[in-house]
Amino acid sequence: MSTTEHKHGHHVASAFQLWLIGGALIVLTILTVVVSSLPIPAPFDVISALAIALVKAFLVAAFFMGLYWDVKFYSILLVGALVFFILMVSVTLLDTMYRNDIIPSF
Amino acid sequence: MANHSASQPAHVQHHFVDSDQQFDSAKLGMWVFLVNEILFFGGLFCAYIIFRVWYPELFTQAALELNKVWGGVNTIVLIGSSLTVAMAIRSAQRNELKGLRINLMITIALAFVFLVIKYFEYEHKLHLGIAPGSFWNPTPEVLAVLDHPKANIFFSIYYVMTGIHGLHVIIGIGLMIWLYIRAGKGHFSSEYYTPVEITGLYWHLVDLIWIFLFPLLYLIE
Repeated sequence: MSTTEHKHGHHVASAFQLWLIGGALIVLTILTVVVSSLPIPAPFDVISALAIALVKAFLVAAFFMGLYWDVKFYSILLVGALVFFILMVSVTLLDTMYRNDIIPSF
Repeated sequence: MANHSASQPAHVQHHFVDSDQQFDSAKLGMWVFLVNEILFFGGLFCAYIIFRVWYPELFTQAALELNKVWGGVNTIVLIGSSLTVAMAIRSAQRNELKGLRINLMITIALAFVFLVIKYFEYEHKLHLGIAPGSFWNPTPEVLAVLDHPKANIFFSIYYVMTGIHGLHVIIGIGLMIWLYIRAGKGHFSSEYYTPVEITGLYWHLVDLIWIFLFPLLYLIE
């Protein structure tokens, strides 16, 4: 194992770890295609697809991008971006979901 | 430490204290850019969410025009390229310059495979008149399956999101070629591989965006 960490930001992941993550991502991709063809009722089909996508995104961010080994500040930046994204979507939906008429040209 | 610039390796620019500080500054800069990218694509995902809430039946119908198999293959191609980028960074960290070049070469090849598949997907759709916005001019066969007054809006969202993602892939290829050439000139080593590291971060983000685009566009029925 060559996972020696002599200084933060310079963690060397082992080839086995990287291949394992790549394999897991491919398995999850196949899983999400299989799940999408199952007759799952309305809200839960989107929820299951997003849940699998979030697991895949976590694996990429944590191990391929190295956030798991890195200083936590980069993780805070990433989570901060997601918080502001959710804020943007929420506030917009508060408008668009409660209109009496959708603007016709849209 | 009075004259530290003289004792630093050649790649350290004079305004940095040492190699590590230079590396961390570059990496922080890239992460701030990635935050910006997430919010940029976030606006597009926001449009997707609004229109899906307004017209849920449109999305399930229109997704039938997208080819799940090719979308899935492209997902696996991008995941493979993310793996080879991670391996390229690992090679650089271990001073294996040949491994670095081989991994960059495979990454470039996979990125081209992604674009070729995307080209055939676009070409097939445009041939059927499945075009965005006011260019929407579908054949009767398409209309038989997808007769929705807002169908063009779904494909506006589809073309803009996958198109801008594709543009990121093209930029990524350019960056990888630049890295490949610099690696050939012996610019990188275990002491200095900052451009490989931060280009890798960018490439992983391009993969991350696709991880969400694939189920949200192709896998709804």
